[in-house]
Amino acid sequence: MHATENDLPADDAKDSLATLFEIQRLSTEDGPGIRTTVFFKGCSLACAWCHNPESISARPQLHWIASRCIGCGTCGTVCPEDALKRTAEGVAIDRAHCTTCGACAAECPSTAMEIIGTHWHLDALVHEVLKDQAYFASSGGGVTAGGGEPGLQASFLSAFLQALKQANIHTAVDTCGCYPAQTLDAFLPFTDLVLYDIKEIDPERHRTFTGRGNAQILDNLRTIGARMVSGAAPQELWIRTPVIPQATATEANIAGIGQWIAAHLKGTVARWELCAFNNLCRDKYLRLDRDWSYNSQPLLPLDTLEQLADVARRSGVDPAIVHWSGPTRKPPAPSDEKQERSTAATTA
Amino acid sequence: MSTAVQHQAMPPLRTPRQLSPRIQWLRDYYFQGADRKWNNQFLAWSTGTPWDVQFNEMTFYIVPETYALLQTLRGSFRQAARDIALPDDFWTWSLPERRAWFVKEVMVHHVPREILPGDLLAGARFNLQTSLCLTEAEQKSFDTALLGRNGARARMKWFHDHGYGNAGATSGHLVPDHAMALKNGWRGIHADLSDRYDKLSQTDQEGPRGAQLRAMMTAATMPRELAAAYSTLCRRLANEASDQERRQELRRMATHLEHVPWEPPRTFWEAVQALWLNHMLIMSDENYPGPGVSFGRIDQYLLPYWETSLKEGMDREFGKEILKCFWVHCNTVYDAMIRNGRQGITAGFGQLITLSGLGPDGRDMTNDLTYAILEVIDDMSPILEPKPNVRLHRNSPTALMDKVVDMISDSQGAPFLLNFDERSMAGMMREAERAGCREWIRPDNVHDYAPVGCLENTMVGNDRSGTVDCNLNLLKAVELALTGGRDLLPFHDPMTGKTEPVTQAGPSTGDAAAFARWEQFWLAYSEQTAYIIRKCVDTYECSESARAVYFPTPYLSCLVRGCAEKGRDVTRGGAELNFTTLEAVTFATTVDSLLAIKYLVFDCQKCSMAELMAALRANWSGFEVLQAMARNKAPKYGRDDDEADAMARQVMDLWTDLTWQHRTTSTHRQFRPGMLSWNYWAGDGFVMAASADGRPRGQFLSNAICPSNGADIKGPTANANSVGKVLGGRAAEGTADWDDTFNCLPNGASHTITFHPAIIRDPAHQNKFKAFLKGYAENGGTCLQVNMLDPDMLRDAQQHPENYPHLLVRITGYNTYFTAIGKELQNEVIERVSHQGY
Ligand code: SF4
Ligand code: SF4
Repeated sequence: MHATENDLPADDAKDSLATLFEIQRLSTEDGPGIRTTVFFKGCSLACAWCHNPESISARPQLHWIASRCIGCGTCGTVCPEDALKRTAEGVAIDRAHCTTCGACAAECPSTAMEIIGTHWHLDALVHEVLKDQAYFASSGGGVTAGGGEPGLQASFLSAFLQALKQANIHTAVDTCGCYPAQTLDAFLPFTDLVLYDIKEIDPERHRTFTGRGNAQILDNLRTIGARMVSGAAPQELWIRTPVIPQATATEANIAGIGQWIAAHLKGTVARWELCAFNNLCRDKYLRLDRDWSYNSQPLLPLDTLEQLADVARRSGVDPAIVHWSGPTRKPPAPSDEKQERSTAATTA
Repeated sequence: MSTAVQHQAMPPLRTPRQLSPRIQWLRDYYFQGADRKWNNQFLAWSTGTPWDVQFNEMTFYIVPETYALLQTLRGSFRQAARDIALPDDFWTWSLPERRAWFVKEVMVHHVPREILPGDLLAGARFNLQTSLCLTEAEQKSFDTALLGRNGARARMKWFHDHGYGNAGATSGHLVPDHAMALKNGWRGIHADLSDRYDKLSQTDQEGPRGAQLRAMMTAATMPRELAAAYSTLCRRLANEASDQERRQELRRMATHLEHVPWEPPRTFWEAVQALWLNHMLIMSDENYPGPGVSFGRIDQYLLPYWETSLKEGMDREFGKEILKCFWVHCNTVYDAMIRNGRQGITAGFGQLITLSGLGPDGRDMTNDLTYAILEVIDDMSPILEPKPNVRLHRNSPTALMDKVVDMISDSQGAPFLLNFDERSMAGMMREAERAGCREWIRPDNVHDYAPVGCLENTMVGNDRSGTVDCNLNLLKAVELALTGGRDLLPFHDPMTGKTEPVTQAGPSTGDAAAFARWEQFWLAYSEQTAYIIRKCVDTYECSESARAVYFPTPYLSCLVRGCAEKGRDVTRGGAELNFTTLEAVTFATTVDSLLAIKYLVFDCQKCSMAELMAALRANWSGFEVLQAMARNKAPKYGRDDDEADAMARQVMDLWTDLTWQHRTTSTHRQFRPGMLSWNYWAGDGFVMAASADGRPRGQFLSNAICPSNGADIKGPTANANSVGKVLGGRAAEGTADWDDTFNCLPNGASHTITFHPAIIRDPAHQNKFKAFLKGYAENGGTCLQVNMLDPDMLRDAQQHPENYPHLLVRITGYNTYFTAIGKELQNEVIERVSHQGY
């Protein structure tokens, strides 16, 4: 666990500045239609399997992408902290000394040295996401705020969503729900769709996997359900469960989540997505100099996921709301080159 | 949480399906290629004079790969040519009359005629190299114009060797008035010609107008006589046929051929038969098969015949069977040089058909024949010809969108190009305005445009078009602005081993190293752009003027409105709409180079102009850091970045405005801008010096209006938005070229986007993809090629070509078999494979 990375700066005077780690256009996996997904940096959980390890820390982070480096040495020359060393493998970042000042990334001619985490002004961000308005309109899509946990930058999130609603854009928030109840007040009124993660129903296992218990997460979700029943925003609620081998991918967990949904969210859940584990993020961990316990974890085969989906359908929820995505369809035999390439795909 | 793009298992390679034994056999037989007993290779024919020449090399001036072969081809056709006995007074006739008679004589009396087993259409061999029919004096002066020290060939070669591009008066590339030819029949065309001839004054009858009309009248009887000869053949074959059903078919074909194309068709079968003969004879007339000889809105003008025949009991499947025969016939163009390599000289002939699209009053014109033809494409795919374009617009019906996306999902990418009506029609209206031809292109007929070749929009039946005649590397102007009008590197001729001294070719725009401000560089660039456009126009004039004198095409002239009225050949400016097109190549490389110069030298002062020039001269060798900055740090077009796209817009406005200022001197054809770029961006990457965007010599240039390879890191929507913006974007309703849409490239802009197959992986995603296309209609360009590729599959095909003989790849309407292209181009295709793949 990396609990220290979760010490988040107070979300106060910065209500017109956000820290994002990515903006993905033509996003087809984060809600209805064609969407632009805005990824907020910083998360209140630290899931062991996290597919976006760069999303966890709220601070900008430095990473080095081997395939882009031309070995010019510029970065080492400009670093005021002497935190970069040439090694046989390329450039090593001495994270104990690096202050993330960004000087090396600014001077690196090939964007091999890169700061993850960019500050965005509200106006600029709204302008940026509205560029795809024509595609939102033609597809019934819109903008999704994800992360990380967008709720950690609640006042910016709130202002951002309000601006989008003013422009008549469909809004979605993809959230893990781990924050005080007041956070909900900041964004729910301007959110058309909530994509809510329930990862693990057992509180202790939840703590083991994510670093936090799930009591508050479930409380917040109950609140959302109750608001919907009373006719308040959001209009739609989707539940997402990452299906992770050796962790959440157990029948007991899926059945438990299903029973909880059936008991507490009656009729308000339009979709429950079981999202299969993938390992395309493997190199991201390497670049952040972090171990990943899922390094050699095999991908989830189709039949396992189908089995779990079946458990979900029989758990008491309306079976029609259960969907799944992302299982492997081939026996995995990736070459090294292939790993690098497919990983690059996720950082684009 | 973001859901990463998973590697998706691809559907197995597309194979044709639902083919009847008849079509299966014809298709398989076609793909036997050079092993076939029958083929449609060039047959050469001579007047028998010692000076006679068949090969019209000007048509190949836009195919740089053939420059080294021109002399050989000229000689070999001449050697192979069979003599034709001429009438006694042949040499007293005008040139158009000689050509008309000669082509007809060869087609009707000398070219062998065959009908393949099961084929439902007659008209097989048409690839000819017929005598140019010149007198000794004419041939001599033609040769001087072509081969003299300062002749067309030398100038065209200089233009290409020095990295400007290429230019030449090329055949084809237009949409003839097929609807009229079907409706009136050749009898009607002939009657009209003879009527016009009779009305000429005696002086006119004795002059060039009379000669032209007489030549056209001769040409107008060629289809009738050829059809009659095929009719006789059908009857003979019918008598020999043992199969009862086949005998019936051949008898029916014989009856059809007694009637069409001289008389208007009565049935769908007759209409397709007539259309095929009318089309194939254009290729005979021009001595060159099918480059962009396009069919236009085939689902519109064939519809009445389709409906009549269905009503009279034609089985819909049989109607499709007729079309499938038509498909096979179209592919035989590739036989022209079948013995010289797998697909002859070039693999892209571009006989285009146009489907669907807007009609009058904003009505959608999709009909049952549209769907039947899409089904034929689906069944026959993958196959190269004819190339379909489906016209989409904001209100295209859901059923059509569904079919389009189904077909894309089911193939290895779209088996057609998608043309977007609003943007395209805006371009047509712009050209009406700029060229002063509002009488021919109006709000009430602009919907009747159609693309030729790949995606080059023109009006139908009256537009000489001339797309692909001039292909200009805009990037040359950046090079000349850096050097003050001189080549950056001396030209080294690999044939002679000699290196030419660098000369002052362009205007002296001063020493760029002394420029203190970006604006000075822009000024120099503008001046050099004006120069290269003028140079292109002048180079083109050499072959355009020679063609106008020495290569009339009276048969084709019968099918282009305006020629009969004016009594002037289509090669002499007879068409109502007398355009020729300047196609800009290297657009994104040019924009990105300018952006890089501005960024590196002026805005961020990463290097001096002198240093940058040294780097380019050294092909970046020793300047790797600077090259990496140019590649990775400088802004790029294609990311929906307003500032970078503003530069792109400036480049676009400049060259298009300058282009409108020119006409050909000899034929008064108005130049208009387009961006088709064929495959020059590949080959010329080796000709042009390194560029400031970080590209070394030998790496491909950018293609048409597409962002530079690898630059579009923001995905398909950003890519499409950038394209739409540089074309002019949109405005409030009623204030733009067409309704709310601008378009500064009337001839169209070729745009390829390669999608990850995940975008169409299930019905929900297919709906999103459909929505993307609708969004493209709002924000994007005139024409989109959708590619859906899997890099692993392509790498495997690279390793094991034997397993992928039919794997088609498409680069802006340039369809080719993946295994038939070189490794570099293969790598390029692989690199483009996935949008998320950077
Ligand atoms: S971010 Fe700053 S401190 Fe860290 S390695 Fe780069 S230059 Fe050195
Ligand atoms: S500056 Fe960039 S390219 Fe150069 S060595 Fe450092 S990381 Fe590599």
